[in-house]
Amino acid sequence: MKVPFSYLSRQFANIKPYLAAITRLVRSGDFTLGYPVPAFEKNIRRITGARYCIGVNSGTDALILSLKAAGVGPGDEVITAANTFYATAGAIAAVGARPVFVDVNDSFLMDPALTEKAVTKKTRAIMPVHYMGLPADMRAFLDIAKRNKLIVIEDSCQALGASINGKSVGTFGLAGAFSFHPLKNLNVWGDAGAIVTNNAALAERLCKLRNHGLVHRDEIEFFGVNSRLDSLQAAVGNVLVRHFPEINRRKHVNAERYNAAFARLYPRVRLPRIDRGLVHSYHLYMLYAEKRDALLKFLIARGVEAKIHYPLPLHLQKASRVYGYKRGDFPVCEDQVRHYITLPVHQHLTNREVGFVIDSVAAFYGKGRAGACR
Amino acid sequence: MQVKYLDLPRQFFGVNRRPEFDALFGAAQFILGPQVEEFEKRFAALHRVPYAVGVGSGTDALIIALKILGIGPGDEVITAPNSFIASAGAAVAVGARPTFADVAADYNIDPRKLEAAITPRTKAIIPVHLTGNPARMDAIMPIARKHNLAVVEDACQAVGASLDGKMVGSFGIGCFSLHPLKNLNVCGDGGMITTASSEVCEAAKLLRNHGLVNRNESAVFGLCSRLDTVQAQIGLFGLDALDGITAARIAHARLYDELLAPLAPHIVLPPRAPDAVQVFHTYVVQAERRDALMAFLADHGVETKIHYPIPIHLHKAAAHLGHKAGSFPVAEEQARRIVTLPVNQYVTDEQVRYVAATIAQFYHC
Repeated sequence: MKVPFSYLSRQFANIKPYLAAITRLVRSGDFTLGYPVPAFEKNIRRITGARYCIGVNSGTDALILSLKAAGVGPGDEVITAANTFYATAGAIAAVGARPVFVDVNDSFLMDPALTEKAVTKKTRAIMPVHYMGLPADMRAFLDIAKRNKLIVIEDSCQALGASINGKSVGTFGLAGAFSFHPLKNLNVWGDAGAIVTNNAALAERLCKLRNHGLVHRDEIEFFGVNSRLDSLQAAVGNVLVRHFPEINRRKHVNAERYNAAFARLYPRVRLPRIDRGLVHSYHLYMLYAEKRDALLKFLIARGVEAKIHYPLPLHLQKASRVYGYKRGDFPVCEDQVRHYITLPVHQHLTNREVGFVIDSVAAFYGKGRAGACR
Repeated sequence: MQVKYLDLPRQFFGVNRRPEFDALFGAAQFILGPQVEEFEKRFAALHRVPYAVGVGSGTDALIIALKILGIGPGDEVITAPNSFIASAGAAVAVGARPTFADVAADYNIDPRKLEAAITPRTKAIIPVHLTGNPARMDAIMPIARKHNLAVVEDACQAVGASLDGKMVGSFGIGCFSLHPLKNLNVCGDGGMITTASSEVCEAAKLLRNHGLVNRNESAVFGLCSRLDTVQAQIGLFGLDALDGITAARIAHARLYDELLAPLAPHIVLPPRAPDAVQVFHTYVVQAERRDALMAFLADHGVETKIHYPIPIHLHKAAAHLGHKAGSFPVAEEQARRIVTLPVNQYVTDEQVRYVAATIAQFYHC
């Protein structure tokens, strides 16, 4: 059986409603910050409960613009997780600041205690990552930020729909960055992102920053960049957002089936710790697995498209060499990247496909059909 | 008669029903799909360079070009004070300081004023091919070589333009915009970098995509600035139509020139260099009592614009750069006098004649 990781051709098998929305847009010619953009921003405000939302060109740009608008720049340090996607550190580097990495915990998330230890006189901000879609410990990070007078910008790029005690990720810090990349839970047909914030002044600055600093067509207040959410992508997002609750529900159903089955494979397979009160977005369903490379091969041979997000941590990337990190700096993370595996969890998986993935993992560890008590 | 400044709905209507989109959605390669590469190849061929790299916008093209050149804090970059603000904004975005050289009667950087703007901190020149008219690269390139400066061409308004047979974007690193208002346009933001250097091409491909050499390895922390596959497909449609678009704009401009030349000195046309192929992204003339003329034209159904009413150095954003009114007198004088007339490919000869006649009427000629 083939269990694909990507589901885009399934998701957009019926593109009629999307094309209808695009036809309307094309008829208006309103391609630059046109009417679909504020409508999309409103949708994101509704999902997150944030007071302001600013649509930008990508999740990466959402991070970059948040840092810029918060005044983070050359000479500053920004603390983030060692196991995140490149863009988290890339955004910090893009504004001229220095990314400072910290190790992760058994939730695969940035460790608050280690974060506080990494604070120096140069630290301006911390950027917790809601990796996989699992919320980071925001209470702890906000405490650290308060004690050390730091800005908090949440990398929520994988976590739309995730929450802590009912409060959406992205709304705890000064700003939260979201991505709508084609592989995200709420996805469009290209790159797109958004920033949420409850800070009116920051929101106003961001609105100008994404559009060359323009106050109106002919006048700029400050030099900005061009990072506008395309109207076309917003139009796609506005159609898809109607399916967002169902996407989340399906992913949770799949993930919970996995969780129940894989709990029985402990300790060969370990699940990330999920504390009470947390709602995971399950952008990625990740496990810590013994004999990971062999398991990956086994699954792929059986048609299950498993992945690794990501095999080489940020501090060991060539891009990080200038910062002087070395192997052994973040032992938990370095161990996890050798054991991580990501299984397909998307909303288009059938019950049979989910069962097949479970059976395959169980078979690898010689457990026969998962769920059967031995 | 109504003369609209532009007509995007007319251009793009039905674009999403073309069969090419079925293939695109079937493959669902929305990020750097094969359409991006095809578009890049054809764009490079158009500008007679070996490489073109699709990015998120014309502004990002400039930013990425400056980053590739290693330009950052402490460096100065010279550009034109009358350009769209992104020409200077790109320099600010990489932490450099934009400086300016005044322009000539053709609205482009005056090469005679360029050397005076060079300081020991100057690292690059961004000549702007404003209105789609190539800057005097024949004079600018020797100055750049003499002072060992990089050249990043802001060709955002100049797709397909050339000087003495050499295409814009092939002199230095070329930066193009595919914004909806441009001659070659997509349904959103998009940009392109052109280069003759394989190293610049590779660096641009890294920087636009998180510095990734493959899915798992990042050689340099980069940006996320990819031309959307969907937009690349729309750009491919646009390339098929571009020759016709350019030809129509040039024909409209010639007709305007012919009809407006007799209105001197009320209307002053820029010089038309015989060795330049101008593509007329905008058709800009200098006009006496400009604001009154614009109001008069608006009353007669003619939509006009100003590109741009405030020179970059006089924006609030540029206050820290230490310029003042009078710093770049030619650009400032032009900013008070320039007006942009409709020149898009859908304008008819009849409309051009109507616009010219209305202007003549305003001046009682």
